[in-house]
Amino acid sequence: MTVYDRNDLPEELLNLPDSEFEKAENDCSTDERFKTEPIGFYQDALRRLFHNRLSVISLCAILIIIVLSVAVPNMTGYGYTQQNVKQKNLPSKMPGLEQLGIFDGTRILTNIKKSSINDPKRYPEGCVLEILREYKAGRQEVVDVKVDYYRYCGVPEGEYHWMGTDYLGRDIMTRLFKGTRISLLIAALSVLTNLIIGIIYGSIAGYYGGRVDMFLTHLAEVLDGLPYIVVTILFMLWLGSGMLSIVLALTVTGWIGTARLTRAQFYRYKHREYVLAARTLGVPDRKLIFRHILPNTVGPLITRAMIAVPGAIFSESFLAYIGLGIKPPEPSIGILLSEGQKMLLQYPNQTFFPALLISIQMIAFNMLSNGLRDAMDPSRRGED
Amino acid sequence: MFKYVLGRIGAMLLTLFLVMTLSFWVIRLMPMTIFENPEVSPEVQRRLEDRMHLHEPMIVQYYYFIEGIVTRGDFGTSVKIRPGLQVFDIIRERIPPTMLLNFFSLLISIPLGIISGTIAALKRNTWIDNVISFLIVIFISVPSFVFASLMQYVFAFMWPMFPTLYNAQAPSIWEAFHSMILPIVALSLNPIATIARYLRGELIETLSSEYMLLARTKGLTQQEATWRHAFRNSLVPIANTIIPLITGIMGGSLVIEKIFAVPGEGGLLVDSILGGDHFLTVALLIFYSLISLVTIFVVDVSYGIIDPRIRIGGGK
Amino acid sequence: MSEQSSLSQPSNGQECVLSVRDLSVSFRAYGGIVRAVRGVSFDLHRGETLAIVGESGSGKSVSIKSVMGILPSNASVDGGEILYDGMDLTKVDEAKMHEIRGHRIGLIFQDPLSALNPIMRVGKQIMEVLEKRGIGRKEARERALSLMQDVGIPEAEKRIDQYPFQFSGGMRQRIVIAIALAGDPEILICDEPTTALDVTVQAKILELINQIKEKRHLSVLFITHDLGVVAQMADRIAVMYAGRIVETGTSEEIFFDPRHPYTWALLSSMPDLETYERLETIPGTPPNMIYPPKGDAFAARNRYALKIDFEREPPMFRITDTHMAATWLLHPKAPHMEMPVSLAHRIDRMKEAAKHV
Repeated sequence: MTVYDRNDLPEELLNLPDSEFEKAENDCSTDERFKTEPIGFYQDALRRLFHNRLSVISLCAILIIIVLSVAVPNMTGYGYTQQNVKQKNLPSKMPGLEQLGIFDGTRILTNIKKSSINDPKRYPEGCVLEILREYKAGRQEVVDVKVDYYRYCGVPEGEYHWMGTDYLGRDIMTRLFKGTRISLLIAALSVLTNLIIGIIYGSIAGYYGGRVDMFLTHLAEVLDGLPYIVVTILFMLWLGSGMLSIVLALTVTGWIGTARLTRAQFYRYKHREYVLAARTLGVPDRKLIFRHILPNTVGPLITRAMIAVPGAIFSESFLAYIGLGIKPPEPSIGILLSEGQKMLLQYPNQTFFPALLISIQMIAFNMLSNGLRDAMDPSRRGED
Repeated sequence: MFKYVLGRIGAMLLTLFLVMTLSFWVIRLMPMTIFENPEVSPEVQRRLEDRMHLHEPMIVQYYYFIEGIVTRGDFGTSVKIRPGLQVFDIIRERIPPTMLLNFFSLLISIPLGIISGTIAALKRNTWIDNVISFLIVIFISVPSFVFASLMQYVFAFMWPMFPTLYNAQAPSIWEAFHSMILPIVALSLNPIATIARYLRGELIETLSSEYMLLARTKGLTQQEATWRHAFRNSLVPIANTIIPLITGIMGGSLVIEKIFAVPGEGGLLVDSILGGDHFLTVALLIFYSLISLVTIFVVDVSYGIIDPRIRIGGGK
Repeated sequence: MSEQSSLSQPSNGQECVLSVRDLSVSFRAYGGIVRAVRGVSFDLHRGETLAIVGESGSGKSVSIKSVMGILPSNASVDGGEILYDGMDLTKVDEAKMHEIRGHRIGLIFQDPLSALNPIMRVGKQIMEVLEKRGIGRKEARERALSLMQDVGIPEAEKRIDQYPFQFSGGMRQRIVIAIALAGDPEILICDEPTTALDVTVQAKILELINQIKEKRHLSVLFITHDLGVVAQMADRIAVMYAGRIVETGTSEEIFFDPRHPYTWALLSSMPDLETYERLETIPGTPPNMIYPPKGDAFAARNRYALKIDFEREPPMFRITDTHMAATWLLHPKAPHMEMPVSLAHRIDRMKEAAKHV
């Protein structure tokens, strides 16, 4: 760095034009205005959420699943309990894709008496597509054949079961999306109930404090000590299966976290000056709670609720899986999976589709709630 | 500290009593017959009923139930799953396979979780971190029973590298272990991801902390500072996820054991509920509650030991 | 013709222990490249206290972090050198840097609470430095004890096994100072060491730093935004704005004869007991260093800005052997501008007060 003596400047600096050294019009009497529009917290959070590619993809996936779960059960043309013993365990067959040789409703039958193939009663005209292997088992001549399973079972031309049928011949896609609908509904309801109970409980404990708080906190602690699975099982046993009892079972301990969060927020904000100011002005308790304190809690609560959704979806399918949730013939992804598990090695399609759907659903909800948490985190405000 | 521990034990016993009472009443008041087992002769049945005071009024039965547990550790007799056998013995019998599986799962998941979480944090925002973080989301999101089915199909059927089911009567240790690999892996995926996720978050926070910076200005190398300050400090909150794994070693996974036909604790609970073996169910619910309560207790106390802020800060 | 002289030459024959020349540091941030430090030069002479003063974001903390080699991973030194003991610290490898950090140069942090490891005994945190230098555990403990006594911690015997949360803010800062001293450094860098403390504690910590400096013959580099603190501590002052040093001089020169409009503004905004006029604030906000403005970075907030300030960055003009400022107002062609009247009054009062001391 160069330092210049004022009396001994180089030509270049010395010969700067005089006009340059006039005082500039520079009114600094007022602070400059902010050039950008002020952005509210939620607007900002939303903007950041939508900047996150994974969150956007997850949100789209969730919306698609919701739409499908509403639309599909009414569009397949099958009822979700509609059985057809003649068309059981059909492989999946999808229009369009069948041309590509996948999901084309074919299946390979092994170890079949060669003579029986020509029996049109057992193997209707044109259902045997290809003989893969001929060999002898003992003295019998047997073959492995690839058959059009739909024709083999006598399904009329043009009828499709996109994901196949189960052991009672029920359409899996109809049942899957019907089950998804139920599980989403259960998740939404249980999260909502948890929120409501948690907020009220936490608000009371946090706002009134003192002895009320102590009692409520201890009560919650005792409940929280009960393991979730035990409480849920007891509840399911007590109330029996059904949507309502599942929602309640998921609520028994689910609200405690929300209550804790709300209570903590109350302790943080109730002594802030603006709350005290409102109180000295005679604002009633109810208004203080709902207008002045609770709004601060909304961000964390939304995040929490969002994180609870995949948990509820998992719990529902888990209960159904072990036979304590929704009971057949009502569908649930858990039931489809546990029924599919029994036939996993023979008919993997019965497990594949429900497994895929619940995985996508869980991943999407988890990613979205991660994104939401990051977007809501006030310490990250202003970052892109 | 001592007083605090005593108080906690008291509260635990209270909760346990609550569980006993609730499970007894909920399960016994269910509209189900206790006995409906054609394989049990009417004579045996009567003897059993007498022994279990089934002809007395409910409240008296409740008294005998509690009394049996408290004074003799007697949880009753199985009526459906293994008729005539002491419930306590059935549970005890099922512990070894569950414990074995969980022990191996622990052996995998704690180090793997810690290693992958640490790598992700140290390589934050690189492709390694992205891959690990993505796997974490997958393993946390996808239900264990989906993974179990998938692994069964792929590694036992498509490429038969492992047996489909757990083999309790395997002739050799190697074969027994071989049949345990799939359930062990299925049990470990979620804990690995959970530990890794927590540790990653904690480490990122401690790595960017001022005391890490101070540690560097002391002349410690990056590795020394990371090990002594960031890593050790991050392990404190991780106790929250690791301790339940350790205390839960005897409680089986409800679905994994069912899928792989493991004769363990988890499958027993499901079977007893679906089979309507009431005394067994009640005892198992108490068993699981005990595990959970001990876990909470151990977590609390160990925080008191690990974290000086709680130990010296006067507890609660 | 023009005589160019470099800042590095000892201005009054003192030995120079640390010399920073033309240091440039930038950060990769979300919005672009932040040019946090843009050609900063200063010398630290043996036994003196040099204060670097500036608003937050002026680049002062970044400068000293580059001296310590603890810049975050998204920062890079783009140019310049940091000369210490015949080495250029910007080029020294990590292994050598470990020796220098702690042992040769100690650093005191702004917030002692977050600077101490919350779950490690304070004694151990001090001993860590000593053990790193190959001192046995037992002796390290002895030394840690005496260090704690040196920095004025009562009952050091008992305190040595306690945890940071059992200490008050001032005591924590003393521990941090003890840690910095444990390596027996010759340079002590203080990064706003009193900002996080209560006012009453502040004075004591400053006194402690002065005391230690005398006792151990340290050279102190003192970073602060608080001119009030500087007055008690510094032999020389460098005023930083937007990643550059805009004025540097002895304490007296900066306080009694400030030349840069930014220094004027800083002094005017400093509260003191005798000022009855409304305190002046500096209008506007510091420039966005992703896009450093053309010309003088301070021009937009400067009441005394000349037209050229918006065109061309002012060079450093020498005022005395020790006093320099980078403002076009010092150019022979510049119109004569007086500092604000209220500041002139205030300086008169300060001079008056200085006489009585």
